[in-house]
Amino acid sequence: MADKRGTGKKNGAEKTFIKAMGLIGETGTGGSTVAVDVRDGKIVRLRPFHYDWKYRSEEFGIWEIHARGKVFRPRLQSLPSPHSLGYKKRVYSRNRVLHPLKRVDWDPGGQRNPEKRGESKYVRISWDEALDIITSELKRVQKKYGPSAVLLQGDGHGETGVVHPSHACPALLLKHMGGYTLQTRNPDSWEGFYWGAKHAWGMDPVGIESQTNMVPDIAENCELILYWGCDPETTSWAFHGQAQSRVCYWLGELGIKGIFICPDLNYGAAVHADKWIPILPNTDAAMRLAIAYVWITEGTYDKDYVATHTYGFDKFADYVLGKEDGIAKTPGWAAELCGVPSRIIKALAREWASRRTSISHYLGGGAIRGPYSTEPARLEVLLLAMQGLGKPGVHQFCFNQIFLAEPFKSQAMFSPQVAYRGTEVPFQAAEIHGISRNDFIKRWDPAGWTPPPLHKPEFGLVTPPAQRPSQIIAKDLIHEAILNPPVSWYGTTFWSEPLEDQFVKYTYPARGCSEVHMIWTDTPCWITCWNDSNYFIKAIRSPKIEFILAQQPWLENDCQFADVILPVSTKFEEEDIQVDAMSEQFDVIFHEGKCIEPVGESKSDYEIVCLIADRLGLRDKVTGGKTEEQWIKYAFDNSGAEEFITYKEWREKGYYISPTLPEARQYVKRRTPLQDFYEDPEGHPLKTPSGKVEFYSQNLARHFPGDKERPPVPHWIPYGETHQESRLHPRAKKYPLLVVSNHGRWRVHANLDDITWIREIETCKVKGQDGYLYEPLWMNQQDAAARGIQRGDVVKIYNERGAVLAGAYVTERIMPGVVSIDHGARYDPIVPGELDRGGAINTITPRKTISKNATGMVCAGFLVAVERANLDELKRKYHQAFNRPYDPGAGLTRERVLHRGEKI
Amino acid sequence: MGKALIIDITKCNGCYNCQIACKDEHVGNDWTPIAKPQPDTGQFWMKVTDIVRGTLPKVKVAYWHDICQHCDDAPCMKACRQQAIYKRADGIVIIDPEKCVGNRNCVDACPYGVIYFNGDLNISQKCTFCAHLLDRGWKEPRCVDACPTEALRFGEEAELKEYIKQSEVLHPEFKAKPRVYYIGIPKRFIAGAVWDPGEDECTEGATVTLTEPGKAKKLVARTDRFGDFWFESLEVGKYSLVIEKPGYKAKKLEGISTEKDVNLGDIELVKR
Repeated sequence: MADKRGTGKKNGAEKTFIKAMGLIGETGTGGSTVAVDVRDGKIVRLRPFHYDWKYRSEEFGIWEIHARGKVFRPRLQSLPSPHSLGYKKRVYSRNRVLHPLKRVDWDPGGQRNPEKRGESKYVRISWDEALDIITSELKRVQKKYGPSAVLLQGDGHGETGVVHPSHACPALLLKHMGGYTLQTRNPDSWEGFYWGAKHAWGMDPVGIESQTNMVPDIAENCELILYWGCDPETTSWAFHGQAQSRVCYWLGELGIKGIFICPDLNYGAAVHADKWIPILPNTDAAMRLAIAYVWITEGTYDKDYVATHTYGFDKFADYVLGKEDGIAKTPGWAAELCGVPSRIIKALAREWASRRTSISHYLGGGAIRGPYSTEPARLEVLLLAMQGLGKPGVHQFCFNQIFLAEPFKSQAMFSPQVAYRGTEVPFQAAEIHGISRNDFIKRWDPAGWTPPPLHKPEFGLVTPPAQRPSQIIAKDLIHEAILNPPVSWYGTTFWSEPLEDQFVKYTYPARGCSEVHMIWTDTPCWITCWNDSNYFIKAIRSPKIEFILAQQPWLENDCQFADVILPVSTKFEEEDIQVDAMSEQFDVIFHEGKCIEPVGESKSDYEIVCLIADRLGLRDKVTGGKTEEQWIKYAFDNSGAEEFITYKEWREKGYYISPTLPEARQYVKRRTPLQDFYEDPEGHPLKTPSGKVEFYSQNLARHFPGDKERPPVPHWIPYGETHQESRLHPRAKKYPLLVVSNHGRWRVHANLDDITWIREIETCKVKGQDGYLYEPLWMNQQDAAARGIQRGDVVKIYNERGAVLAGAYVTERIMPGVVSIDHGARYDPIVPGELDRGGAINTITPRKTISKNATGMVCAGFLVAVERANLDELKRKYHQAFNRPYDPGAGLTRERVLHRGEKI
Repeated sequence: MGKALIIDITKCNGCYNCQIACKDEHVGNDWTPIAKPQPDTGQFWMKVTDIVRGTLPKVKVAYWHDICQHCDDAPCMKACRQQAIYKRADGIVIIDPEKCVGNRNCVDACPYGVIYFNGDLNISQKCTFCAHLLDRGWKEPRCVDACPTEALRFGEEAELKEYIKQSEVLHPEFKAKPRVYYIGIPKRFIAGAVWDPGEDECTEGATVTLTEPGKAKKLVARTDRFGDFWFESLEVGKYSLVIEKPGYKAKKLEGISTEKDVNLGDIELVKR
């Protein structure tokens, strides 16, 4: 597979591989694909993959979308994110774990010192010693407490793999050891939609509108897009690449106006906004109610549609007009709450009513991850319904699920993950994600691109509960479960669950199950991605937790609390098969060759599980008796691609592109699934009790009567029994600023925070006076001046839950009263569980879930205070923490955790 | 004839792929005789800079690109006493990493400030348009290959005529004859929002007339539903502006300086 473009003059020959660099991990297919040139065992470069490398473009065909006299075509090369292009630095990071490590003061035969986790250093041990410890601890814990005493944290985003996935491999072994306890895979980033919007319109599994054929519909019919808390120039980098950026530019060229409604001028707004309406975080519900007030009082909503397509509008109107509580939800009322002048709210309401308008998101993002996020999410659906939801051009348009290329392909989606014939590649343990892709694949009718019926999920199929382990813990309740059992909650909280699961109550410990006493994590990023992780740190320092095993390529975040750390290889050190169906250009199935030898003594997650299984006599159970090469062939043979190309030819060429349907080269008008409902609501009901959009949720009324925090009609709830995170609450006197916390521009959750070339970008890190690169905190000039803060100052962000240091980025890109800091910065504890230097804002996010019966996470829209940090005093007080080995280019390096004298 | 680079600022989404791809190609890779390795951090042969324009809520961001202009009359070439800087037949200017002895005259001579001194190697360095790749058949340098939105285009000057027509070069007064062409270099804007405090409504359809004192040319805008108006692509100067709507007292604002982009904020227009 040598690429003729890559042969140097003096240098040796270059060999080219293909790797999917989207970091969705888990079930996800690849995206952000790159070509990798390798020479003399080292990666030379990562570059966009050119689809026409081995095939002429006529062979696979180029699809087109036509709208308003203009044409959109994919480019003939992939559009990777800067994360993907800089990944070489991640592979060769100074923070890679090179050898198995053991915490120096953790002795499985004696003192375990759990309270020293996060402070004590590590010593290098051999693989043999590590495997001995792990197998004996597994056996001991299971024998003493039962199999459910082992908690698996094996979900979340990361490198994609089929044979070597970055998450969930331990499940392959644990399920043959009598079971385990599983941390559930939450609908994170969809919180408000999943726990709220589903009660307005169904839309399993995550509560957002079916996106089939969405882009052609929007392009042809929409007149105004409200990018509401949406950043199409950031979040898509995590999984897809940058096709979304091209879509945004094209929609602008078509004359579709874009208004961004968000507290910060995010990166999408920075280049695509025709108008920016800054709004205080988590006050969208108030603004939406005021918009409804304008429409109702001015008679500018679609009354016929409301009569035929919705349920319970009268009760909603009573609330909006103040008949329920004596408060009319006027623009003047909302203006005070949202920080948006009433005249702007009125103008927005009228602009919206006069144009075909859609609301756009990537995922939910910060806007839908605040306290009581169910309420703005439901109101969004209801407002769309008041303007004829489902009519061409009137949609909830979500960039993360547009699957732009799909409608045009001869084969809906190649899928080696879970093959489309229903055979499952066991490496992608279905119980982790709770889904199989089987239904996803079959529902697409290649000839006609028929959308699925509305009462069926857009994607995903729920795993039968029988496939799940006997005990689960909702991911956002892990700390509470460990420290304060028993704990009960509603819904498994698997992202793929159908609506009805939200009415089922679960308890930990489950009947007949043990409490957790060992944690096995291949996802050691809980601290910087989840809720009130300072409290989580208390949990993982509890003597109840006798052993923590972490496996990860980089020494990051939760790793520094583990008792044993195993070095994991990156995908460049592994051989695999992958499909890129998320780049939104062409669907490609490719062989992912092994580019370089494993760094240090690292092994893949799958190999590690096999080695442990060896010692337990369970290897064949884990491998299914197949070699890795055989699994690659098996995955190919069941991917759908085998109908188009032989395995031999595919391996020779290295990739195959799903051909474009001949008719798709000419535009054919396509329908969104919701258009059926728009035209015939009785014949195409939604998955709600009434089959209609519910302004009054019958399910919530029936299952949670008296719940003031998620009542049947969505309300504006500034604070309540569960949360006190509003400027209206007395806490705001002490903690006056609201936090916006978006998905990272320069990271994917906890990933990528060590790439030197990214860290030196101005908006990625702020260099403190001490030379340390701090996570930026966006502040308006007004707020900064009031605190004597200047750009570049080190600041302390704090509330009752702890404190985090950051670097001040004083900017007009954020409104007064609000600060913004992305989640996912690498945790660098000064005092573990209290004070962090790395900018891991999730250490101080609210502990409780959305509301008492809605089990989603809250990690944005909460109160903090900010002040200038006294670096000199901090340095004096925490001399040791401030003098750890540190490389400003790459940030934290592995040396910082090594016991004195350890040479690695 | 020769190679040219087009940088269309209006199409740049600020992803920094060009800056990162340049590092990926040149950090840790030795492409002698075209270039020796670039330092890991702190130097940028293709440098992107965020320019935040205006004030809340009239804010836009433009992404500036600094790169060697591969001038046809390159001051760096004249300044080098070692004759280590040469121009290839395809127009690309190269600092020969083996001839350079680190005098740094070129660093000072470059009016565009895009030559860096690599202290570890004691040589001056800059963008090469990835000539080592072009020489083995690549059609474009790494930065252009990595650009998702085609804000960067590269090729034979003759093939890029259409783009060059809409473009300008940086500092033509330097007379260095650059081979890098910019489209949509941000100028200045004046924006504001007109409202009626009596009605508490945005004022739609007001006529806003902008004049530059001493110049005859007038620019006219109408406020939209939000009362917003924008005048874009203005030169630096002093402007005055009149807002009129039938039934309202006209409002005149004078002495508006466009040293920076200007958000005039919320402007009250009251009924007669």
